[in-house]
Amino acid sequence: MNPAMWISKTGVQAQDAKLQAIANNLANVNTVGYKRDRVIFEDLFYSVEQQPGTQLDNNRNSVSGVQLGNGTRMVGTQKLFTTGNLQTTSQSLDVAIVGNGFLQVEQASGEIAYTRAGQLSVNSDGRLVNAQGLPLRPEITVPANATGITIGENGMVSATIAGSTSATELGQLTLANFINPTGLVALGDNLYQQTTASGNPVTGNPGSDGRGKLKQGALEGSNVQVVEEMVDMIGAQRTYEMNTKVLSAADGMMQNLAQAAR
Amino acid sequence: MDALIYAAMSGADRALQAQQVHANNLANLQTPGFRADLELATSRKVPGYGYDARYMNQLQANAVNTRAGTQVETGRELDVAVQGEGYFAVAYGDGEAYTRQGAFVLSENGTLTLNGRAVLGDGGPIVLPPGSQMSIGADGTISVLAEGQTVMQPTDRLKLVNPAAGELSKNSAGLLVLRNGGSLGADPAVQVRGGHLEGSNVSAVEEMVSTMNLSRDFEFQMKLFKSADEMAANGNRLLRE
Repeated sequence: MNPAMWISKTGVQAQDAKLQAIANNLANVNTVGYKRDRVIFEDLFYSVEQQPGTQLDNNRNSVSGVQLGNGTRMVGTQKLFTTGNLQTTSQSLDVAIVGNGFLQVEQASGEIAYTRAGQLSVNSDGRLVNAQGLPLRPEITVPANATGITIGENGMVSATIAGSTSATELGQLTLANFINPTGLVALGDNLYQQTTASGNPVTGNPGSDGRGKLKQGALEGSNVQVVEEMVDMIGAQRTYEMNTKVLSAADGMMQNLAQAAR
Repeated sequence: MDALIYAAMSGADRALQAQQVHANNLANLQTPGFRADLELATSRKVPGYGYDARYMNQLQANAVNTRAGTQVETGRELDVAVQGEGYFAVAYGDGEAYTRQGAFVLSENGTLTLNGRAVLGDGGPIVLPPGSQMSIGADGTISVLAEGQTVMQPTDRLKLVNPAAGELSKNSAGLLVLRNGGSLGADPAVQVRGGHLEGSNVSAVEEMVSTMNLSRDFEFQMKLFKSADEMAANGNRLLRE
């Protein structure tokens, strides 16, 4: 059959995948700590029908060959870890990470997951948890009679305990950094998990060794740029359309051929 | 059988293969750094009994279009686009290959990679120390703010080459290589821009027009098939009567 049909098929499929990523990005425009996905394409292997430079006769080499491409391929998706917009919420338990790094939470399975969404709250046991109720690591317990919790830029959590005049230090929040954050796997719920591609986490106090600082009373919004996504969407849609046109042109050629032979 | 049908066949064959080239270009309309393939046909003489029987058509498709694609700002520190002419070098087998795609990724041991292949610098593959911030300068210098440092340190430099368009052809992995093999030295004049990615340089309009053209072309060849068939049928009838 006409190979152009299969090639156009890869183009149509690729745009389908891209549209899915765009739809997910747009759906998460208002998700705190969301990082946009980008789909990466690569041209598929080439079939070399005739190698350039083959010997034609004693003193001539062919100057050109024939290489026919086989379409496009989705290499993968990349999370883009650029900083999102900071929104001031004035909630004492909202923290935004200004710069690199991830907060660590313990999943139900006991494994550590990483997140940039800093909507913290205190659970019934007095522990600091994230929006899904997963406890933060290192663990920080807020006494029931504590008021005025402050989280410093360096991650120090302190509060005023009733009856005391000075602030009491409750614990230290740490941030984890990865050599290749793009290699983290997204678990959903704003959580990421380390993989061999991301490397091991390097934890430390916020603000040290290039880690970001914490800002209390602020949240990091999603880094999705709505206009960019819309432009990408138009591009994907039109590319889809044009690949379909080639598909029908290839089909038309086959039809002509079938009619020519009686 | 008349030689006409074989000449028409070479034309139809060429249209089919050329369609494949254009379908591939259109499929890669959104592939960053993709260079469009060019397709051209030459005529080839077929000698007969003391005379030239006919001219066949031969497809040549291994040149690339080196027109620059549109650049899009991404803001990611490891996205790089080449300004004007020039290519990045990546390791390919024992040698090197060239590409315009610049969405680099750090592997877990700090090697700068592009779709799994090591990106080459001044002295072979680029390995960056763990750091919090990276930036790529206009001449390809990569600066890293390493752990415990307060200033950005130039660490390595991307190998940027600038071969002439005619020297390049694609290998089976879709990367550009030199037609006569071998590798190129770095060209200090090539400029890059960090935080940007170059799109595909495929022109959708050109590809669509070529597709239309080729499919009509194919139709004409089919008409010739029919004519050749009728001519042969008529000849056969003459003998019978």
